[in-house]
Amino acid sequence: MSEITSKLKSIRWQHVMFILLMTLMVAGADSCKSTGKLSKKERKAQIENAKKQLQPIISGTSTLSYEEQKRVVGDVMGMNLNDPVVSDMIIQAQQKLKALLSEQIQAKAQKVDVARAALYDLLLNKDNKTADELEKELNVIKRQNLNDTEIDDLIARLEKKIQNMRAEGGGSGSLTLKAQLESAFTTIANSSKTGNLTQANATIQKTLPLFSSDDAPVLIIISRQGSTVDYDKPTTIKRYLNFLVDMKASKNDIDAIMTDANGKIKELDLINK
Amino acid sequence: MRKTLSLFILASLFAVSYRAAAQDVLSPQRKQAIDSLALEKVRDLSKYISIIGDKKTPWSDAQRVIERASELFMENSEIGVSSLGKQDVNYYKVRQYFDRLMQLNYDRVTIDWYKIQYVSDLVQQPDGTFVGVITVYQRFQAYDKEKGLVYEDTTKKDITVYVKRKETQIGGRLIGFWDVMLGDIRVKETSK
Repeated sequence: MSEITSKLKSIRWQHVMFILLMTLMVAGADSCKSTGKLSKKERKAQIENAKKQLQPIISGTSTLSYEEQKRVVGDVMGMNLNDPVVSDMIIQAQQKLKALLSEQIQAKAQKVDVARAALYDLLLNKDNKTADELEKELNVIKRQNLNDTEIDDLIARLEKKIQNMRAEGGGSGSLTLKAQLESAFTTIANSSKTGNLTQANATIQKTLPLFSSDDAPVLIIISRQGSTVDYDKPTTIKRYLNFLVDMKASKNDIDAIMTDANGKIKELDLINK
Repeated sequence: MRKTLSLFILASLFAVSYRAAAQDVLSPQRKQAIDSLALEKVRDLSKYISIIGDKKTPWSDAQRVIERASELFMENSEIGVSSLGKQDVNYYKVRQYFDRLMQLNYDRVTIDWYKIQYVSDLVQQPDGTFVGVITVYQRFQAYDKEKGLVYEDTTKKDITVYVKRKETQIGGRLIGFWDVMLGDIRVKETSK
């Protein structure tokens, strides 16, 4: 026992500790060395992958949507690859996405403009389309999913108009309304011409309820050249119907009928024959 | 140097005024539309006068027509009245003229206007208003229940017309319209 104790005492513990420490260091360094080799490979692969993903975005050949492309660029940025080529490509891709967004905004604005004009035309229904025809054109606009408040409002108004047209005349309501007005104008003028004022006045009383009020504006176009439209002094429907009695003639055609939410005529555009 | 500067200012002023004038020039089609509109208003007036003078027109209708006819005129406009037996021409305010016309002391009256045409074309004034003169011939015939036709004459009258461009908002739309206003109606000659 005393021998063992003396042998233990004779061991140079400093040497042992030094050797242990060196061993640990070598082992530690070896371990680091092996992990470093794997990361480099992965990094290289990641860089290549990032380049592959960014390239179509930069060249504008990507089939991804704007949002998806934006996510790809964000993912590559999140990798923190610290590669100068990738960093440069990220900047290029971001610039490309900015331009793409601007183009998309512009394209949407143009689409909204075209849709707005088309919807106003459909609401005016100058071509006297039937409810079915109006609906067909409305559906084309709706399919564009423009997500614009004004367009949505116009769509709702047109849907209401189509609904009213169907309620009035089974798909050709506007034609019916136009036909009713044309017939009324002719009857009033002819009755007055033949001295039948009773019939003229009865027709006036029958026609006025088609309008939102007796004061619904009536505009008479005297000249139309492109977008320049010249009107006569605006009048009201009641005055216009009495005017037909006084003049004993109906000298204007119906150009456009604008109805309100209840399907009543809120504005009437006429044009010189 | 001063001379050059003056010339430059003059040229600039000319360019600006020329541009402004050019903007106001209407295409022949638009001008024709305005010419027709003014003529149409005079034709409307002739119909109104005929209705007001017609003894068969109910009083309430006559009042409504007088209202519409008066609206065709500028404020304080006058209408001349002549007759074969008198040298003088009497001028009445529009409203007064229509009231007198409605109350003429005959059993039946017919008034027809014809040969309605421009004697002086509409010309644009510096303030933008177009001014012209339209001439009309009026055939007036008055009847008595027993004696039949008791009076008739033909009067040539000149009507000054003013056409001004105005704007108004209707249903959220800015509407540019032409306001035709009639001025004085002057008697030029009266014959049998």
